[in-house]
Amino acid sequence: MEVRKNKIMVENLCKTYHTNSGDHEVLKDISFNVEENEFLVLLGPGRCGKTVLLNILAELEEQDSGKIIFDGGRPEMGNIGLVFQKYALFPWKTVMGNVEMSPKLKGVDKATRQANAQEYIDLVGLHGFEKHLPKQLSGGMKQRVGIARAYATEADIMLMDEPFGALDAQTRYSMEDAIINIWEKNKRTIVFVTNNVEEAIYLGDRIILLSSRPATIKKEYKVDLPRPRSYTDRAFLELRNEIVANTDLDV
Amino acid sequence: MDSKEVKKWYYVLPIISILMFIVLWIFLSIPADSMIPSPKETWLRFADICVHPISQAILIVHIWSSLRRVLIAFAFAIFLGVLLGVGLGWSKTFYSIFDPVFELLRPIPPIAWIPLIILWCGIGELPKIIIVFIGSFVSIVLNTYAGIKDIDPLIINAGKVLGANKRQLLFEVALPATIPAILAGIRTALSSGWMCVVAAEMIAARQGVGFLIVQGQQSGDTALIVACMLVIGVVSMLMSTFLSKMEGVLCPWKFGKTK
Repeated sequence: MEVRKNKIMVENLCKTYHTNSGDHEVLKDISFNVEENEFLVLLGPGRCGKTVLLNILAELEEQDSGKIIFDGGRPEMGNIGLVFQKYALFPWKTVMGNVEMSPKLKGVDKATRQANAQEYIDLVGLHGFEKHLPKQLSGGMKQRVGIARAYATEADIMLMDEPFGALDAQTRYSMEDAIINIWEKNKRTIVFVTNNVEEAIYLGDRIILLSSRPATIKKEYKVDLPRPRSYTDRAFLELRNEIVANTDLDV
Repeated sequence: MDSKEVKKWYYVLPIISILMFIVLWIFLSIPADSMIPSPKETWLRFADICVHPISQAILIVHIWSSLRRVLIAFAFAIFLGVLLGVGLGWSKTFYSIFDPVFELLRPIPPIAWIPLIILWCGIGELPKIIIVFIGSFVSIVLNTYAGIKDIDPLIINAGKVLGANKRQLLFEVALPATIPAILAGIRTALSSGWMCVVAAEMIAARQGVGFLIVQGQQSGDTALIVACMLVIGVVSMLMSTFLSKMEGVLCPWKFGKTK
């Protein structure tokens, strides 16, 4: 087994929100590592603080205490990819406009950034849809744009916040295949958040199971199944049952 | 009735409605001492002012004088209104400084400014333009402000994560997202600006559709008054239609057709 270096090290992360209705502890002593080019899944019940954790990793929010150490130093804004559950595409921009946004903001010249964007549009399977507006696309296609847009930041870390949570079941299956396909063609370090056990096992190299609020780490599972995986595979189902038995019920 | 027949009704009913309005109008104009001119008289008067000048200008020139005032005032109202609206929505400091004054002045009807503005600026073009400016500025500010406040925070986060600095966040993300709201503000502003110009012209002007109405009043020419009122309505309707078309062109992602 090859030894991969750690890309992100999260140490003793804590976060509490102070509101009028009292203090809400969201993250409690969260520590884990993400290896380079690993597909890591954070699995937890709904509203357990997974999004907060990702937002902290993406520097949209700050932790109360604890450290995040990135290999090669903390990336600047615009050098981490984030895929949102609700797509968060710019509705006034075409598919191309959305995907080329990050290099455009960084001042990359038009020819270069559009050539790069085109590669990522092709990678996510949207060739021919460059000039479409988001509202002309289905949910699955919108999220493909979201993934291409995150990839086009050229960041080597991709954070994905329940990216398929808003999709119907059929689209979800095909998007799960699509993301593995994209990742295998263009390896990045992926931290993928979901509340769906099957999705976690289908996708992850490793699964970190979080408890219900405040989120703590319950257990870590290494998924050693060969890809492409099958939902009905015996080992798959055994792991599924094991994880489900360990999962806090989401009320 | 099947749905096809129902659909047909939706085309027929507006025509019936207008016909009934005209019939009622004719009916009311029949008595000898009626102060209401008949549709025919109104139409003839309309045709007359299209070719024969009043106060040295035919109708189209009067319409243009009014329209010109609105358009000049509008250029300023859009520029300053968007500026103030964005400032209020984007910066808490700016909001704290300017919102109280704005809230205080906002409810004052534009027409209430007329006497003061005439005292300040006389009765030339400037006072009318200022009145229209006041009338249209407010709704542009309010809509722009609401538009900025209404931006999905996710879109802002997306901009940040993609590397937008503060200036880019405003110009590349927030402002484009606010364009539909600004256009809605412009639409409201256009109709209130048009009302204000007529009101301002009724008080002091030598040209314009508001002036024509006052001419009608002073000479007891009700046909002229009604003809001008209808002209005001039609111009406003045309402007509104034009703006709808512009919305589709400027903002296809919001107002355009899906396919």
